[in-house]
Amino acid sequence: MTKPLVAIRSVSKHFGEFQALKSVSLDVWAGEVMCLIGASGSGKTTLLRCINQLTAIDSGGIWLDGELLGVREEGGRLYRLTERQIARQRLKTGMVFQRFNLFPHKTALENITEGPVQVQGRKSDEVRAEAIELLRRVGLATKADSYPAQLSGGQQQRVAIARALAMKPMLMLFDEPTSALDPELVGEVLAVMKELAQSGMTMMVVTHELGFAREVADRVVYMDHGVIVESGRASDVLGAPREARTKAFLSAVI
Amino acid sequence: MRAAQTLAESFPDLSGIPVAREPHWFRWFSAALIVLALAAIARAFAGGQIEWSYVSRFLTAKVILEGIVNTMVMAVLAMALGIVLGIVVAIMRLSPNPVLKSVAAGYTWLFRGTPLILQLLLWFNLALVFPTIGIPGLWTARAVDVMTPFLAALLGLGINQGAYTSEVMRAGMLSVDIGQYEAAQAIGMGRLRALRRIILPQAMRVVIPPLGNEFIGMVKATSLASVIQYPEVLHNAENIYYANSRVIELLIVAGLWYLLVVSILTPLQMLLERRFARGTMQFAR
Amino acid sequence: MTRLSHFLAFAALAASAPAQAAELPAEIKQAGTLRLTVNSTYAPMEYRDPATNELVGLDIDLANELAKRLGGLKIVWSETPFAELIPSLQTKRADLIISGISDRASRRETADFVDYLTTGPQFFVMAESEAKAATDLCGKKVGTIRSTSFPVEIEKWSKQNCEAAGKPAIQYVPGENSIDVRNQLKQGRIDAAVQGSETLPYAQQQEAGKYRVVGEPFAKGYQGIMFRKDDAALREVVTEKLTAMIADGSYKAILDKWGLGANAVAEPLMNAAPQ
Repeated sequence: MTKPLVAIRSVSKHFGEFQALKSVSLDVWAGEVMCLIGASGSGKTTLLRCINQLTAIDSGGIWLDGELLGVREEGGRLYRLTERQIARQRLKTGMVFQRFNLFPHKTALENITEGPVQVQGRKSDEVRAEAIELLRRVGLATKADSYPAQLSGGQQQRVAIARALAMKPMLMLFDEPTSALDPELVGEVLAVMKELAQSGMTMMVVTHELGFAREVADRVVYMDHGVIVESGRASDVLGAPREARTKAFLSAVI
Repeated sequence: MRAAQTLAESFPDLSGIPVAREPHWFRWFSAALIVLALAAIARAFAGGQIEWSYVSRFLTAKVILEGIVNTMVMAVLAMALGIVLGIVVAIMRLSPNPVLKSVAAGYTWLFRGTPLILQLLLWFNLALVFPTIGIPGLWTARAVDVMTPFLAALLGLGINQGAYTSEVMRAGMLSVDIGQYEAAQAIGMGRLRALRRIILPQAMRVVIPPLGNEFIGMVKATSLASVIQYPEVLHNAENIYYANSRVIELLIVAGLWYLLVVSILTPLQMLLERRFARGTMQFAR
Repeated sequence: MTRLSHFLAFAALAASAPAQAAELPAEIKQAGTLRLTVNSTYAPMEYRDPATNELVGLDIDLANELAKRLGGLKIVWSETPFAELIPSLQTKRADLIISGISDRASRRETADFVDYLTTGPQFFVMAESEAKAATDLCGKKVGTIRSTSFPVEIEKWSKQNCEAAGKPAIQYVPGENSIDVRNQLKQGRIDAAVQGSETLPYAQQQEAGKYRVVGEPFAKGYQGIMFRKDDAALREVVTEKLTAMIADGSYKAILDKWGLGANAVAEPLMNAAPQ
C-alpha cells in the first residue's frame, strides 16, 4: 500500500489560552488537490503553517514524504531538529501567502531566482531560464524586470506562485491566496492554480472560494474550532454535507 | 446647465465668488519683532568685545583646516564602525540564543549608560589597567604605543555609537513585515541568510534616515576627542587661543566650521530621507 | 642749615604720605565683596581637597588674608578652566586673578601683574627613569599642560640645549591638565613631564617616591596677581597689603605651610618677568 505524502497524526497547537488545533489527524495523497474550508479561527491556516513549520506543533507528529518533521525520534524520546535541518525540510514544500510577501527590493525575476540560487546553490543562468519559463507559465513573461510595486495584486500573487514553484517542491501550500485581491483579479490567480492542479501538483489550499473548490478540489476538509468536522469528495461535502455544523457554515457562506 | 434633479430653493450658487485672502496681521507683526531681535543680537555681537579680525585671520589657518579634515575623517570612520557594530549587535539581540541576546543587551546597557567623554578617557588611559596588550606568545605591545589618540577616539566614538545604532537597527529590522521573514523561510532560507538577503536590505531603507541624523551628531561628538589630544578642529582652535588668549574668537572660528559642515550634511540627509522614504515606487531602479 | 633740611625732610614725608594711603575702588568697598575666580585643578596653589571637597591652596590662603586686610571683604569664589581666567578678568566677572598664573609679556597686553611667587618650568621623570641631567631628555617625549606657556618654554629650551648641541629635539606631547600629564608619564606615553616648580613638592608628597626632579627650573619666572590695566587703584592697594604681609612674616608662613618657602619674593614686583 502506498503511503500518503503528508500524514498528520494527533497534532495539537495552542496560542496562550487559545487552542488552535485539537489532536488533528489527516492524510494527504500525492497528486491530490485538497481544499480546507471553515470560519476564521477554525485552525485551517494553523494546520497549513504546521506543515512547513512556520508554526511549531505542541504535540503529535507530521510526516512529509515519510520524514518526521521538526523532531527526530531516538530511544522513545523526541529531540528538536536544528534550524538548519528544519530549513532543509521546508524545501519540500512551497507556500503562497495571503499577502503575497514578494521581496519588494527585487524584481519579479529576482524574486523567483533567489531561492534556487541562494539556497539550493544552483547556477544562475540555468535558474534564470527556468524562471522566465515559470513567468510565462503564470502569464507574466513581460513582467520579468518589474518590481512588485509596479504589479497589480493578481500579478504579484502569480509571481509568488512562480517563486514557490521554482524550488521544485512536492507539495504546494496556499494560505487564502485570493482573499486579499480585488474581485476582478481573483480569476487570473485561480486560473493559474487550476492549471497547476491539472499538471499533477499536490496542493493544499485554504480558501473561501467554494466555486474553485467545487471545480478543482479532489477533497474538501471542513474545520471548526480546531477539529476536522467533515472530510470527503468536493461534491459530497459541498453538495450534500453530512454534519450539521458543515451545513450551517455553508448556508452562511453561500 | 439644468441639473438632472430638482434642487430645493434658497441655497444660492456660490461657485463664482472667490475666497478673500486674510491679511494675517499677527504674522507680520511677529515676523517684524523677530527681525528686530535678530538685528539687535547682530549689532551686539558686532559691537561687543570680539576682535573680528582674529576670526577672519584664523578661519582658514592651516591648523584649523587640518583640524576640520581630522574631524571629518574621524566622524566617517567612527560612524562606519558604529554601523557595523550596530548591525552585529542588533542581530545578536534578536537571536533565539540567550547567550548572544544577553551579551548584546549588556553591551548596549554599558555603552549607552556611561557618558561618552568618560569612555574616551578610559580608552586613552587603558595602559593604567593593562600596561601591555596582545596575545602572549604571538604578539605583545605596550598599550600606550597602540592606544594613540586616533585609535582611542575611534574606539571610544565608534563603540559608543554602536550601542545607539544597534537600537536603530533593531527597530529597523522589526519594522520589516514579518511576512517577509516567513516568505524567506518558506523558500528554505535559514535565519542569518534571510536577515542578510531579505530583512536587512529592507531595514536599511528605514534605517538610513535616522542614521544620517546620527552622523550629523557624530561630527559634533568628535569635539570630545579634544581631551584625549586628537587634533580635531576644536582641539586645534584651543591650542591657538591658549597661545593668544583669544578665546571667543577662536571658538567662533571652530563653531563656524561645524555650522558649515552640518549645513551641507542636513539637506543631503533630507535628500536621503526622501529617496528611501516608505513609498513603494522607490524600489524601482 | 639743619633746620632747613629737617623742614625739607618733613615736607617730603608729608608729600609722600598721600601716595601710601591707596584706596579701595568704590564698587568693591560698597559691595563689601571681592569676586575671585580660580582654576581649581592646580595643587598646591588652588584645588579641591579630595577628602572634604573644599577649595584650598596657597592662593586661597593668600587671598583670604588679603581680603581680611582690605577691610574685612567677603570673597565670592567661582571656578573656571585655566583658559577662561583672563576673559573672566576682562569681562569683570572677577575683580582680580590670583590663580597660579604666570606673568608673561604676551599676557601684559591686557593686564598688569603683581608678582608674588617665583616659579619656573621644571623637568621631572618617574623615579626609575634613567635620565639624570636635563640634556638626557633630548630626543625624548616630554609632556606638559597644553593650555599653559610651558610648551613654548620646552621648545625654546630644546632649541638652545639640544639642537644647538647637535642632539635631536625634544618631542612635545600635549596634556589636558596636571593629572593627565602625570598619568601619561606613569603609562609611559611620555618619558618626562614639565610642570611649574611650585607644584612639584605637593605632587611628590602625594605619591611619595614615584617622581624625581631633573635639573633646576629651566626658566625663571613669576606667578602674578592679575589686574585690569585700567584698575590701578585696586592694584596699588593690594600691593600695599601684600608688602605688609611680607614684612610681618604672614606671607612666609603661608608659603611654608604649602612647602614653598623657597619660592618667596622679597617684595611684590610689577610686571617683572623677563619675557
